[in-house]
Amino acid sequence: MALIEVSHLAKNFGSFHAVKDVSFHVNEGDVFGFLGPNGAGKSTTIRCLLSLIRPTDGEIKFFGKSLNQNRSEVLTRVGCIIEKPDFYKYLSAQRNLEIFARISGKDITKRQIQEMIDFVGLNGREGDKVSGFSHGMKQRLGIAQTLLHNPDVIILDEPTTGLDPQGIIEVRNLILRLRDEQKKTVLLSSHQLSEIEIIANRMVIINQGRTIVEGDVHELLEKQSMNLEISVANPTVFEETIQRDFPSLTARLVYKGTYHIEMEEDIRQPLIQRLVETGCGVKAVIPKRSLEDFFIKMTEK
Amino acid sequence: MMLWKNTINELLKIATKIRSYIGIGALTLLILIVLFAMKADGKSYIGFVTASFEQTLSFNGKILNGNLIAFIIMQMLIVHVPLLISLVTGDLLSGEEASGTIRMLATKPISRSGIVLSKWIAATIYTLIMTVWLGFLSLFVAKWMFGTGDLIVLNSNGLLIIPEADLAWRFGLALIIAFLALWTVATLSLAFSAFAKNSVGPIVSTMSVIILFTIIGTLDVSVFDAIKPYMFTTHMAAWRSVFEDPYPTSAIWESVIILVAHIAVLLGITLIRFNKKDITS
Repeated sequence: MALIEVSHLAKNFGSFHAVKDVSFHVNEGDVFGFLGPNGAGKSTTIRCLLSLIRPTDGEIKFFGKSLNQNRSEVLTRVGCIIEKPDFYKYLSAQRNLEIFARISGKDITKRQIQEMIDFVGLNGREGDKVSGFSHGMKQRLGIAQTLLHNPDVIILDEPTTGLDPQGIIEVRNLILRLRDEQKKTVLLSSHQLSEIEIIANRMVIINQGRTIVEGDVHELLEKQSMNLEISVANPTVFEETIQRDFPSLTARLVYKGTYHIEMEEDIRQPLIQRLVETGCGVKAVIPKRSLEDFFIKMTEK
Repeated sequence: MMLWKNTINELLKIATKIRSYIGIGALTLLILIVLFAMKADGKSYIGFVTASFEQTLSFNGKILNGNLIAFIIMQMLIVHVPLLISLVTGDLLSGEEASGTIRMLATKPISRSGIVLSKWIAATIYTLIMTVWLGFLSLFVAKWMFGTGDLIVLNSNGLLIIPEADLAWRFGLALIIAFLALWTVATLSLAFSAFAKNSVGPIVSTMSVIILFTIIGTLDVSVFDAIKPYMFTTHMAAWRSVFEDPYPTSAIWESVIILVAHIAVLLGITLIRFNKKDITS
């Protein structure tokens, strides 16, 4: 069952067309990757999904119901972080959660708020003013705020922006826990393409305000060409071998002795065998088929 | 239900912001300064006012009393209190925009109109608290310091002496009308707040409108005569009419209606603006 359906969404700001034609659907239980380069229209689309921005055209449905006509009912079942979570800095973490709990559409007890504080690892800091929180702590508090009313759908717009590596891992693990333990449906917009590859099962890529491709992450990647990164001790012999025995392949020098090879069909075994035979001195072979390559390829079209 | 819950939130935010106490603190300080000044040199101040009547009238009893001090304080401060109120009310929507919390607020299942109305109710309660505080300090503290007595009012018709027994209801009604005027200012700054991305603009704009309208109101130029009766600033001092004898009932009602109409129109503008607004911050 599709929990989110977006059909031919468009949004104009005056003469600027931020979103031209975006369509996708998110099924129950999906961790759905929402990808696109800067300026593709991701944030505008997400803001339309949360009724922060009024679409110029198109339709948004949550749980089979029109967002426009059932805004309050829909938002009771949705939790979100838009870019960075901002709180009332002059209030404590607990007081902030109490404020948002009060207007979440559900009755949330102080005990539930404390449990959520514990869940995101902020226990002991709940009484501190948010003004003293690091970006990572605010992000965790943002996730607590998102989950407080036990939403069916969670929308996270760039949740790891500005976080240090430790913070990124923490947020990623938190999303994985939401997926595995709480079976939540998550729509995740991120520039961390590797993150989408690890976490998401389905995705959509948009560019210049239009949907480019939508589907199962692994199925889409399966269709892609296989890329390799090969490090060799003898670059001259390597380049001669490629030109002579594999003329259809393009080997691009990445740095000294390391080449990036893109192949339309999987010829890894004969290629490596030949490179070994000719004495290239193969030091490393790294498969490079990734969402990142796919993303760049799709958005370049 | 959601409106009530968010009103509690808004009151909580106002109660925990430092800027909310700037207004109350400044008001308290100003009143205390006036009370101190009157205690120190009030007699010469009163003497200056009554000097022109001393050849035709003789004054017996305690002219410098709490009622007169309260009347003077209200006259002096009613001009400055709007600034103190707009410090808080001008920040209600724009402050959320500046801090980014508007995104969190607008993605909750409360309607945009609910957000505006709860902020407006909170602004109303804050304005009411300021008015009551002004009344309490100017009336009760002044009476405690200076005692009670009849009120001598100097107005366009001359000198009017209002007996002490006839003053309680007049001060009560004056404070209600003053509250209406301040409520209009609060609603005006909330309306500006819906158009701004930080609180400086709404506060400055509110004061600019008050100053501009006051100047237009005092200019003796016929071209403005048609609009003067409808400018809210014309009716901000309507509370003074309560201290006339007989007091002009129809003029007071007219002021009340115009102030209430301003509140309704400004609130309507705020609702339309905020409902149509794309939140892109």
